[in-house]
Amino acid sequence: MNPVNDDNETNILEGALRDALRREDAPPDFAGQVLARLVPQKPERKFSRDPWHAFFTQPLVRWAAFAVITASLVGGFVHHREIVRQHAQGEAAKQQLMLALRIAGSKLQMARTKVNQINDDGSAQQQDQEKE
Amino acid sequence: MSERQSAALPDFADLVRRHQSMVFSIARHFLADSAAAEELAQDVFMQLHANLATLKSEEHVTFWLRKVTAHRCIDYKRRRTLPQVSLEDAPEPSVQSRTADPLLSQRLRQLVASLPQKPRMIMILRYQEDLSPDEIAETLAIPLGTVKSQLQRSLAILREKVTRTIGEVAI
Repeated sequence: MNPVNDDNETNILEGALRDALRREDAPPDFAGQVLARLVPQKPERKFSRDPWHAFFTQPLVRWAAFAVITASLVGGFVHHREIVRQHAQGEAAKQQLMLALRIAGSKLQMARTKVNQINDDGSAQQQDQEKE
Repeated sequence: MSERQSAALPDFADLVRRHQSMVFSIARHFLADSAAAEELAQDVFMQLHANLATLKSEEHVTFWLRKVTAHRCIDYKRRRTLPQVSLEDAPEPSVQSRTADPLLSQRLRQLVASLPQKPRMIMILRYQEDLSPDEIAETLAIPLGTVKSQLQRSLAILREKVTRTIGEVAI
């Protein structure tokens, strides 16, 4: 087989391939079916048109809500710790006051005892002098 | 669907009607299965609808459709991991040939359907869409040298098989 025959055969084969692989018509109402597949997407959008749903599905709003909730939780935790700390401080001050009162009470008791003792000594001396 | 797309829907319907034959035929010749080709072609147009905003011109749409259809066809076959269709097992084309030699056309479609995936798509883009090797390389994102060598190899295989099965008189 010479090159000229080869080229000729190739050309004939290519022509036959173009015939065999020519475009075919799409099935009837193909476009209608494609467009019909687009329609069911609409109800989903209707759902998203609900004002509250639409509002809370916006990314910025979702992030803002997340930030607010996080800030509230952190704030609440800090506030709780502050209350606990103040309560502990109050308890300590109360204990200190009680201790101070106990000390003052015992000192007062000692002073009273001393005064009574002096008074008792004084009256005993006076009675001795009167006897003499 | 955005309002912009809703407004563009008549244009989209027009695009579908203008390109449906091209997309369906690429899938039909590659898959050799009308039902699967129709489903795949519909998926391609759904994808086109979703990407319409990124396409600037009619030529861009045509290029995009060929590219997406070709890749979807190859992916479709890969996902199903079907064994290579032998020449004997290749389904008989259901369409009536419009050529002077319907037997030869039928045999050629069978032979093309029996080629491996990439060479098969190259043959379809070359002889259905009449694309140059450069355009095929761009569409399939493969080197030009690969396209040329695959075309030559596929033609040699087809010529040998056609000659063997139909006889040299036929071509």
